[in-house]
Amino acid sequence: MLGRLMKYEIKATGRIFLPLYGLILAFAGLNRLFMYFNLQKKSDFLPNFVSGISMLVYILLVAAAFVITLVVTVQRFRKNLLGDEGYLSFTLPVAVHSHIDSKMIVSLMWSVLSTVVALLSVAILAIGSGLYREIASGWDSVRDFFSQYGASGWGCVVSIVVLLLAAQLSGILSLYVSVVVGNLSGRHKRLAGFGTFLGIGVIAQVVFFSFANTSGVFQSYHDVPLDSVAQMRALSTDCLILAVFCAAFGVAFYFLTDWMLSRKLNLE
Amino acid sequence: MANAIECFNLTKRFPGCVALNEVSLAIPKGQIIGLLGPNGSGKTTLIKIVNGLLTPTAGEILVEGKHPGVETKKAVSYLPERSYLNDWMSVNEMINFFGDFYSDFNKAKAYDMLQRLNINPKDRLKTMSKGTKEKVQLILVMSREAELYVLDEPIGGVDPAARDYILDTIISNYSENAAMLISTHLITDVEKILDGVVFIDRGSIVLSATVDEIREKENKSVDALFREVFKC
Amino acid sequence: MPWDLKSDRPIYAQLMEQIKLLIVSGVYPVGTKLPSVRDMAAEAAVNPNTMQRALAQLENEGLLYSQRTSGRFVTEDADKVMQIKNDFAVGVIHEFLEKMQKLGYNGRQTIALIKRIIEEESENGQRD
Repeated sequence: MLGRLMKYEIKATGRIFLPLYGLILAFAGLNRLFMYFNLQKKSDFLPNFVSGISMLVYILLVAAAFVITLVVTVQRFRKNLLGDEGYLSFTLPVAVHSHIDSKMIVSLMWSVLSTVVALLSVAILAIGSGLYREIASGWDSVRDFFSQYGASGWGCVVSIVVLLLAAQLSGILSLYVSVVVGNLSGRHKRLAGFGTFLGIGVIAQVVFFSFANTSGVFQSYHDVPLDSVAQMRALSTDCLILAVFCAAFGVAFYFLTDWMLSRKLNLE
Repeated sequence: MANAIECFNLTKRFPGCVALNEVSLAIPKGQIIGLLGPNGSGKTTLIKIVNGLLTPTAGEILVEGKHPGVETKKAVSYLPERSYLNDWMSVNEMINFFGDFYSDFNKAKAYDMLQRLNINPKDRLKTMSKGTKEKVQLILVMSREAELYVLDEPIGGVDPAARDYILDTIISNYSENAAMLISTHLITDVEKILDGVVFIDRGSIVLSATVDEIREKENKSVDALFREVFKC
Repeated sequence: MPWDLKSDRPIYAQLMEQIKLLIVSGVYPVGTKLPSVRDMAAEAAVNPNTMQRALAQLENEGLLYSQRTSGRFVTEDADKVMQIKNDFAVGVIHEFLEKMQKLGYNGRQTIALIKRIIEEESENGQRD
């Protein structure tokens, strides 16, 4: 059933993201063309402000992709589970946690895809600019990096990816828990939800810094020489500790959301 | 197991009010029961608990012999009072959605009913009038071959011709293995298709009888009795 | 034919009456098969269980009989149908006489009036 929920989740959100991604890539291509004409000293071919506006639109679209990822994460959860559509969602023969799972996974998917599309659009803009040659030469230094640090280099990369995913997931779950808490608090749902979100942020920071200060885990850099395998290891360890920290909060948000949706749900 | 719904001292409290007060009730299989009561009497609270949308404060409820959950949701077809359809989908997509999630959904039946009510399955729900949306929703709910149908105000917003069609649909979908719980305030229209009625007021059941028992004993229609019991 | 159901009497009793009427008026002639309970319930727009109860009651009275596999039939007993027809007619006449009495007609006056109207009607019929 999780697969089916995800299918409809992707259908519902894809109709927003896919056109947006198309637009971003199209404007990247358009801007690349304008740059080409301007470089050919044919700037009278197109007035400068046209290419300026086109560039501005592109930048705004990329920014919008990230804002919309956030907005859709919140709106889709709120409308599909806590609005009128909730009457259908919660009478489907699926477990409550499957709803959270499907929405969380699809939201993560769009965050990753938005990043990929943004990078891809930069790559389109950079066609013929010499960036590719630089990347090619940069590739050699990447190879040097891994030959120098070996497994600890890879470990470091993996830890950073794990940290990014854990941070993104716990971020999504903190939005969910805020929406649910806001929705349960009678009047001023949005305000209460926003307050919860801020509150969660403050609590997470306080817990994190008191943990960091007392345990001293993040002090490891001071003791090891720069540019060493030992430092790579220290960096990986710190990333993983942070990831565990995010995951712990994420798990707490997840179960709190699940418990409230199962036991405290009260659709209007 | 002979009862589709069984409640024992079912109680639901909200901050500052008691929505259901120690309700005990049994809805047998093969019967169409009307749940009647004024606004705010607890009808919708009871219906939401049956469908697992609310958790009772105290007491017990069994739907098809089980506590509300994934298993009971497979067996219950629920028509809520409000429109729960995704605006951006077409009727076709909605039918596929129901087919994907409910194994008892009969697509052929749904398309047949759509045709009889002149609804184009390619139309998007966004472009439909409120009445048409209600019809689509009812078609989706009635196209399931469920063990229990729970209909909250099924004929509230539709025109009299569609109302007749809906009542006809309910009768022709009747099955000895399924039960139906219908909440409504349009009693005269549904009275003839009911086996029995349950009157509910301020969270308590005040009367539970068959339609013909009421007519025999009181020499008046259920509608007339309702007006008397709930006189303002 | 629309089924005319009053709101102040038990539905199954009214259904029994209406089905009897359909039988004596020849809509369901002697020995014919009745539609299924579900179809009859749908046509009368009533609960199938109520329709079932009315039919079972008529079976008890001997006006209908059911065969396990093939369904429910009107009795073959033409005398029985005739008797019920008579009962109906007697009921209608009683009702009518009661109304006439309220208007101040006694039995003899009523019969005289009926005779006159019937004669007039048949004369009109001949002229047409």
